[in-house]
Amino acid sequence: MKVAISYPPILNDRGQVAMVSQNRNVQYFKIPTYLLPVVHAQAATWLRDIGCEVRWDDGNAQQKSFDEWYAGLLAWRPDVVVFESTTPVMKFYWALVKQLKGDLPKTLVVMTGYHSMRKPDETMQACAVDVILQSNHIDFVLKKLIPYIAEHADWRETCEIEGLFIRVDEKKVRQTGAFKRVEDLDLSPDVDRDLVEWKRYAYENGNYLRTPGTYATSVIRDCTFGKCTFCRYNGPDLTFSIRSVKKSLDEYQRLIEDYGVREIFDDSGVWYRGEQARAFARGIIDRGLHKRGCYFGFNTRFAYLDEETIALLAKANFRFVLVGLEAADAETLTRLNKGYLPHQACQNLEIFTRYGLHPHLTIMVGYYWQTAEQLGATVSTVRELMFKGLARTLQVTICTPLDFTPYHKECIANNALLTDDYNDFDMSKLIVKTPIPHEAYYQAIRDMYGVATDPRFIARQIRFLASGRVRDWEFLFRYGWRALRRVRNHVYNLTSQERG
Amino acid sequence: MSDKPRHLVQSVRKLTATTFVIRIDRHAFRALAGQHVTLGPHRFAINREFSIYSSPDAPYLEFLIIARPGSETACALHQAQPGEEVDLAGPYGEFFIANPADRSRRYLFVATGVGIAPFHCFVRHFPGLDYRLIHGVARVEDRYELADYERGRYVACVSREEGGDFKGRVTDYLREHRVEPDRLCYICGHSAMVANVYDLLRGQGVPSDNLLTETFF
Repeated sequence: MKVAISYPPILNDRGQVAMVSQNRNVQYFKIPTYLLPVVHAQAATWLRDIGCEVRWDDGNAQQKSFDEWYAGLLAWRPDVVVFESTTPVMKFYWALVKQLKGDLPKTLVVMTGYHSMRKPDETMQACAVDVILQSNHIDFVLKKLIPYIAEHADWRETCEIEGLFIRVDEKKVRQTGAFKRVEDLDLSPDVDRDLVEWKRYAYENGNYLRTPGTYATSVIRDCTFGKCTFCRYNGPDLTFSIRSVKKSLDEYQRLIEDYGVREIFDDSGVWYRGEQARAFARGIIDRGLHKRGCYFGFNTRFAYLDEETIALLAKANFRFVLVGLEAADAETLTRLNKGYLPHQACQNLEIFTRYGLHPHLTIMVGYYWQTAEQLGATVSTVRELMFKGLARTLQVTICTPLDFTPYHKECIANNALLTDDYNDFDMSKLIVKTPIPHEAYYQAIRDMYGVATDPRFIARQIRFLASGRVRDWEFLFRYGWRALRRVRNHVYNLTSQERG
Repeated sequence: MSDKPRHLVQSVRKLTATTFVIRIDRHAFRALAGQHVTLGPHRFAINREFSIYSSPDAPYLEFLIIARPGSETACALHQAQPGEEVDLAGPYGEFFIANPADRSRRYLFVATGVGIAPFHCFVRHFPGLDYRLIHGVARVEDRYELADYERGRYVACVSREEGGDFKGRVTDYLREHRVEPDRLCYICGHSAMVANVYDLLRGQGVPSDNLLTETFF
């Protein structure tokens, strides 16, 4: 079987490229940002391992135009094409599937991703897709499904693999029951770096202080917490699965020794905590990987990592800690099911920075209930944290309901949405009714990103140099210019609505 | 947060050297049987998720917790004294019994260790439930508050010593005692156990729609 795992270049009318791949929220970027879709990369690796001919077909990372990408796919004549869906690109995908089915009628189209898994009927009706995966375990399901299709001409009627919507004929669609939520992730292979051309993702990513960087095969899928209402990784259909510390350590060692990677980021929704986090750090130290010039980073959440664990992670050369500070008021945190209290954010950041880690805050604005007071608290808290040096970098996004997360459903139920056109869900503008004018949220974004050029922030970075840590010097002198370029890009994207 | 009632510790009931039940004030906190919360000592830097052990009818909230070395939140709660405040958020989760009024439904609950907490909550809240509870523990003493389960419905799979109802792991037990495919099966515990039990039950013909899972971490 010839299987293409495909990410078409999706451009908006401003010439920006959609970053669909495994980002919890899709965004359009003018400046290249290439994110390795880890689970799909594991699927590609596994399919190749069982004898399929696999085409890793990321048109974005391969810097192709749409026409180039499409012509290449047609010429390859795949038996199966796999796409990844999310709300703002659904209309694009429906049109693409129609076009593809016209040009390659025998090719099967498999739709994966968080939008279609929650609204399979919609995509079945909107295009001629053959199979929709309701499972988030793309690798495990494709590894069973593709051989089954190859071996059974009547697969549409007989396939019983859980979690599928299968088009039987023009009128009939079959569902094969609830999918398996928890998988043993040690069974799925490490991403084959050569297969996915890892270097294409190794430089243009704002998370890396040193390059080449790469994403590790995630230790957690999707998120150990999994309750934040706005996040794709929440819902009764989802829980987390876990990979062993040893398997992950083995991969880190290979990435450093065989590929010369200098920064490794794990994009698990929330990384290990407690004993597993400590065992991982000890493993890095025992193998001497903390002295090989490679930084490590991960996503976590406030109220998760204790001081002993953080100290050990710092000793193991962990640097980048991405943590969500969705708001600074208790009401919003409660409504978002964040599971931590405002004071814990500050306590945790103090511990992170005490040990030399570089916390990166991901902030959101524009909740449909967010008042001027709540918004102001977020802005002032974030600015204070940055000026005090308790966080090193930040990223602000407009909270956009998508992929039928609990927050998305809540917005629908409360009649808060201003549009039902999926193209509008691209995070470039507010699409919910709010108690204060939208301009206030755009101004808040500017105020928070404005920290980067504020003399108080710059002075704080200079004071960090006294720590004697190499990473602090690299941060100011190597990363600074890159970061400013990205800040300009973010502000442009997130406030473009005002320019019309 | 100042308008929220303070949740004070009422008692800490030691079950083994490391396992305990902490009871706190409920106030108006509402949760469904099977849900969990985040809990930690007041103004502590971290917290942790715990399933609610007590019935939603009880005038208090209880949590079954194991304080392993290095588990900072659990160890701090283990040392908590009556009258001390804890921070609580939630409830979360959808590990429910969807239709408890349906008396024709038969249930299988599979848990390891303190993963028994939501099932304790179920059986206390829904008397007359037709269930079988398979509990995997290391030692006989880990059969926490055995008297709360109806005689004949609880099976202790004890892996490290004699004296339970079955010597071995829950997976060993389930291999030897096939499950009727019409049972609605709830599995709660660590990720590997949940995945293994799921595969085993699917292999015995239980449809995936009849398998509900809750993973502890």
